[in-house]
Amino acid sequence: MADGNRSNSNKPEWLQQYDLIGKIGEGTYGLVFLARIKSTTNRGKSIAIKKFKQSKDGDGVSPTAIREIMLLREITHENVVKLVNVHINHTDMSLYLAFDYAEHDLYEIIRHHRDKVNQSINQYTVKSILWQLLNGLNYLHSNWIVHRDLKPSNILVMGDGEEHGVVKVADFGLARIYLAPLKPLSENGVVVTIWYRAPELLLGAKHYTSAVDMWAVGCIFAELLTLKPLFQGAEVKATPNPFQLDQLDKIFKVLGHPTLEKWPSLAHLPHWNQDTSHIQGHKYDNASLNSVVHLSPKSPAYDLLSKMLEYDPKRRITAAQAMEHEYFKMEPQPGRNALVPCQPGEAFVNYPTRPVDTTTDFEGTTNMQQSQPVSSGAAIAGNMPGGHASNRSVPRPINVGMQRMHQLQAYNLTSQAGMSSGINPAGIPMQRGVPQQAHQQQQLRRKDPMGMPGYPPQQKSRRM
Amino acid sequence: MADFQTSTHRSKWIFSPQKLIEKYKAANKRAKQTLDTCGATLMEVDVDGSLTYPQPHPNANDNGEKHSRIKPLSIEEEQSIKVFYENKLQEVCNNFHFPHKIQATALIFFKRFYLQWSVMEHQPKNIMLTCIYAACKIEENHVSAEELGKGISQDHQMILNNEMIVYQSLDFDLIVYAPYRSVEGFTDSMEELCISGEDELQKFKALQNTARLEVDKMMLTDSPLLFPPGQLALAALRTSNALHTVVDFDSFLSRIFSHQNSTHTMTELLESLDAIDSWVRKYKSPSEKELKHINRKLKSCWGHSSHDEGKKREKKSKHKSRKSSNEALNT
Repeated sequence: MADGNRSNSNKPEWLQQYDLIGKIGEGTYGLVFLARIKSTTNRGKSIAIKKFKQSKDGDGVSPTAIREIMLLREITHENVVKLVNVHINHTDMSLYLAFDYAEHDLYEIIRHHRDKVNQSINQYTVKSILWQLLNGLNYLHSNWIVHRDLKPSNILVMGDGEEHGVVKVADFGLARIYLAPLKPLSENGVVVTIWYRAPELLLGAKHYTSAVDMWAVGCIFAELLTLKPLFQGAEVKATPNPFQLDQLDKIFKVLGHPTLEKWPSLAHLPHWNQDTSHIQGHKYDNASLNSVVHLSPKSPAYDLLSKMLEYDPKRRITAAQAMEHEYFKMEPQPGRNALVPCQPGEAFVNYPTRPVDTTTDFEGTTNMQQSQPVSSGAAIAGNMPGGHASNRSVPRPINVGMQRMHQLQAYNLTSQAGMSSGINPAGIPMQRGVPQQAHQQQQLRRKDPMGMPGYPPQQKSRRM
Repeated sequence: MADFQTSTHRSKWIFSPQKLIEKYKAANKRAKQTLDTCGATLMEVDVDGSLTYPQPHPNANDNGEKHSRIKPLSIEEEQSIKVFYENKLQEVCNNFHFPHKIQATALIFFKRFYLQWSVMEHQPKNIMLTCIYAACKIEENHVSAEELGKGISQDHQMILNNEMIVYQSLDFDLIVYAPYRSVEGFTDSMEELCISGEDELQKFKALQNTARLEVDKMMLTDSPLLFPPGQLALAALRTSNALHTVVDFDSFLSRIFSHQNSTHTMTELLESLDAIDSWVRKYKSPSEKELKHINRKLKSCWGHSSHDEGKKREKKSKHKSRKSSNEALNT
């Protein structure tokens, strides 16, 4: 059987279906790689492969990975990344998630405008991105999923192709189903970028609601307009979950000090209630949001933004309400290709392709011989000035077109499960090519997300 | 919770009775074939999560006579074993005071796992514990494998070894819908429909509690693989209502029916509810004697026979199987 020549290669079989291009992202969860499909059906198609670090010893398979997979398995929406495959590397029990590749993300787009072209993002693009982001979020929220880690680097935009300019919400590592969780959601030792963190969380709220995502959307909206993070607090690094005074201070300075009148449940938030670091001390009276974002207080854009940045989560605008806002009804109206305005003649920006670090292999080890210096590690680890690398994930989305690939792969799982020809029906695991640690490998596939009932038919022949 | 209508649970894990039998047959048949060729059926899951298949006995064919002494389990016998461990699973969850939701998730994982495999291939005790461990992880009620293992005096490494194969066999479809929440939802709407006083409320409580116990019973049958959670909940409530007579159930059914633009007809729904009832009625735990007998058979299928040769085989396979598995592949 085809598996025989596995021993000739150090690569697990699942990996041999891809050409690895290089590393494109890194975060606390692990690494993201760019790869291209070798098979004839989808030859050259770009795939982002997210490798999860193994969880700590004795904890089995990474819970973050498992949660991301289980959520992604259930959701399908044009503005949400779709998982196309799951691979298991049994060598170290790590999981690899394969997504369609998105060439851009808001972090890079904003950076490009700020540092390279030195001009603001055009209104059509801002509005289209925002609308699609809300559309994806509305879908998630109506499925009781809170993302919890929205930030520019997690909002992807598709490059050239059928889905050019389509926005994809990515990185569900921290996402949760919030209907009746068995434990308060705050107990998960969350490490979320603080700049986009909602004030109720900064003040110690125990339960997340979809309103935390809307706060982040407000921050991102402002950043699209000004090209600068709206609330750029200095993070206190400590575990677990230290009080982030500076972040709150930055918020208060722009929005004015919160009051019990504007936000009644404020009194019950632990840090407010205990007056941690004298948080109740009133320093700022006047809101200056409109001047910070250079919007007229009467403009619909400002009205929408201020509703997203409402202190009281109960009064904060929801994704569904936001999509109905007047801002989206006025010209220019939002479109599907956020990067290219539909009106002919309007200028659009050519965004650079994502930097790829070709010196890192799938194991995450760096080869000494660099093949090709990456333009700047910037896009990869998020080390922009002041950048907050904590979690710059660059998961790429997916969607479309991968169906054929699923079918090719689907046999893997099924083979082991459903098949029957006696001994090791289609060669499951047991490959021992990679010496590595005492761990090992096997591989898995994931399959058709759209779920046809039951398993796809067993395929006997292996792809060459 | 994500929408059941678009869920993998609905699209991939609810089967027709025929399909279910086919799957049981296929797993059983494969294990039988393995037994014929190799003289044993059990797959070893190693520390690294890899599977080792029993090695084909070189003279399997010549030696048919010898192996013929080891009898494979029938599908019915497999069923008895599963029933036994599903009860165990509930026991373990109760001992740990896990929420109902975790127990239900673990049970559904266990059932789905053995749609893909025969109990002759993977030891149900290990799989049961791994399903509980996985359910805890999925439901964010994390319990360390060590803790879980200790609580039942089992080696926790075995739980970790099996974790990946369990996820794989579930095809990573890990969000499952148990009927308990639907029971609550339907009870709420009954309450709304029947304007009720204080003692009525007590009645609804009793109704709901009995229905939950009914669901517990259903969870031990095949019905969670055959019917959506909403129908299971309705069947449980109907049975419970027959006992407590709180509402006119038929008119309740037609009320909710008119609210949902269901693709089913009322007749179909009633047929499903009757079918669920009959699954519960048909359910029986195997006697201790039967179990003992089946267990003995099962152990010899695994190659864990009491006589020395079996032991030797087991040991040997640990060393040799790695090499031999590749050999097997190459042939």
